[in-house]
Amino acid sequence: MSGKTHILLVDDEASLREPLAEYLTKQGFRVQQASDASQARSVMNAFNFDIILLDIMMPGEDGLSFCRHVREKTETPVIFISAKGEELDRIVGLELGADDYVTKPFSPRELIARIKVVLRRTNGGNGVTSGSGSIYQFSGWTLKTDQRSLIDSEGVTVPLSSGEYQMLLVLLSRAGQVLNRDQLLDITQGREAHAFDRAVDNQISRLRRKIEADPKNPEIIKTVWGGGYVLAGDVKTL
Amino acid sequence: MKHLLPKSLIGQLLALVAVTLLIAQGINIVLLYRGAQNQKIVEASVSAVGRITGEIERMNERRFRELRPRRDDRPRRRRNRPSVSTESAISVGQSRLSVVEERAALGFENMGITVLAVEVARVDRLPPDMINNVIGHGRGRQQTLRAVGYRNLPNAIDGYVLMSAQIADGQWMNIASVIRDRNPQLVRTLLFQTAVIYLILLIPLIWLGRNISRPLKALTKAAENFKPGESEPIEESGPPDTRQLIAAFNEMNDRVGAMLDEKDVMLGAIGHDLRTPLAALRVRVESVEDDAERERMVAGIGDMDRTLDDILSLARLGRTNDTAEPTDISALIETVADEFTDMGADVSFTRSGRITGNIRATLIRRALRNVIGNAVTYGKQAAVSVDKDGDRLVIHVDDEGPGIPDDQIAAMFEPFARAEKSRNRETGGSGLGLTLARAIVRDHGGDIVLQNREEGGLRASLILNLD
Repeated sequence: MSGKTHILLVDDEASLREPLAEYLTKQGFRVQQASDASQARSVMNAFNFDIILLDIMMPGEDGLSFCRHVREKTETPVIFISAKGEELDRIVGLELGADDYVTKPFSPRELIARIKVVLRRTNGGNGVTSGSGSIYQFSGWTLKTDQRSLIDSEGVTVPLSSGEYQMLLVLLSRAGQVLNRDQLLDITQGREAHAFDRAVDNQISRLRRKIEADPKNPEIIKTVWGGGYVLAGDVKTL
Repeated sequence: MKHLLPKSLIGQLLALVAVTLLIAQGINIVLLYRGAQNQKIVEASVSAVGRITGEIERMNERRFRELRPRRDDRPRRRRNRPSVSTESAISVGQSRLSVVEERAALGFENMGITVLAVEVARVDRLPPDMINNVIGHGRGRQQTLRAVGYRNLPNAIDGYVLMSAQIADGQWMNIASVIRDRNPQLVRTLLFQTAVIYLILLIPLIWLGRNISRPLKALTKAAENFKPGESEPIEESGPPDTRQLIAAFNEMNDRVGAMLDEKDVMLGAIGHDLRTPLAALRVRVESVEDDAERERMVAGIGDMDRTLDDILSLARLGRTNDTAEPTDISALIETVADEFTDMGADVSFTRSGRITGNIRATLIRRALRNVIGNAVTYGKQAAVSVDKDGDRLVIHVDDEGPGIPDDQIAAMFEPFARAEKSRNRETGGSGLGLTLARAIVRDHGGDIVLQNREEGGLRASLILNLD
């Protein structure tokens, strides 16, 4: 690897693909473009990619089908880029093993942040493969990553904001491991830690209000003296 | 009276037939009864004519032979034979049976007897002077009747026919004849007959009615639960008319479904075709050097995207693939409130225990965002509170703004309506927010109510059904 992250960008719309490739290149990525699935296949035979950005609606073979093909062959993470923002499409996309999903129009900075989060998750050893439809069970709760939904023991869905979801996912995937605020920020937000520590504390306290029986005496997300949080209790991954 | 009328088709049909049948049978009964009455009188009159004829013939044979007085001088009993008097036994004022009179006259003529006049009247009681000139009191009659197999012998005497025939000047021959009920069970027979007709007629009618109304009921139910394009076609059953109706309904269902599918495809295409250039624009905007300018452009693109999103959501509502799932609504409100707080808005919500309801969380979240967003934009801050009453949950969003004149509240739900008169975009939003929020809540069987609070500011109440 050349040190630069190698991105395969698959989108039939040249009007979006070209400026995006340009932008990503400027931001220090190495970008290869493909305008449809067959072109993407041949490019994949020639290069190794760190991540694939994939449009769903393409003429010929669509992105979902291509994603399935990618999953069968490689572990390369996939982020869907699609104009279809419907809940169902997102779920289908994530069920197919995509790692994340952005809807058009997206902020390019946010896209880069997500690319970084996905790369960190997949390269970081005991990686969280958040997208591949895993189910976590802990203290009577169930977190379904394909639908991003948290369900209690009675089957009631408890809505989470995306920040809370990311936080919980990170804590679950590193259950029993103490994570300090910087780590949490870094993994969840994927941004340079210019956000203040309070943001993490805020998310944690909101999460506790939603999942703890008594938020003042947390049993699930515990505070560790010296600045950090840990998810206590057994976590089953299905 | 109205509530006595049956509401169903079959009920009305049956009631109508029953009433019509009752009237027809009633007329029938009256006619038959009167016929039977006439028949009785005619029968009695025929005997009277016969008896008078016999007497006249006998008198003609004997040529005015006076009856011999009995040895004991007691007047001879002339039972069952006509009396002869100088005047008619029927007094002048008495109402007479002219039809019977005519027929009796005809009878006399047929038998070759000349009478000058015939008078017939019906009386309920036998005049005392006629007590010995009555036909039909005798017992022999019953034996005769029995001999011909007549059962249920009628005994009731139903008055008398008095007949006087003038056989010469100043000479009248009078006879009374008992009117008997030939069949006193006439009414019972008729009632029985009516009942039989009812049974024979109503059973197939009920069957027919059910045959019509069952498919109609199914149709009504299908129309009530009509989910365009999703509803299963109804089985065509019942009479041809109903079948045609059901077939037409099924066809309509298919057409509406096809239209909606087309609309979905079109909306998808619009969404895709507008968002892709928007995304391209968004990427290009990043290369704008001037920070302020770039921020404005980003905001503009964001606005366009949200408007597009609102329009598409509104158009797609009711056709989403999401299913309602039990969701903690307080947690949902809290999440939305937190989103606003994170953006620096003043939104307060005190969570009070869990409220579970079957909702489509993404949609309700959106409705809440729109309503709270309005409160924050136009009313500086939003205080969210919940009010649970059985299956009904009301989410109040109170702001500190100037409120809305009462006469303009209804107009706020119109698409593209805004609190300010001008469609100025500075305050953001598409003008679809409240329209969409209400459509979402109504899709969940609830509603949104806006009202000015007494202490100032506006209260938006989202009413939800939690079942």
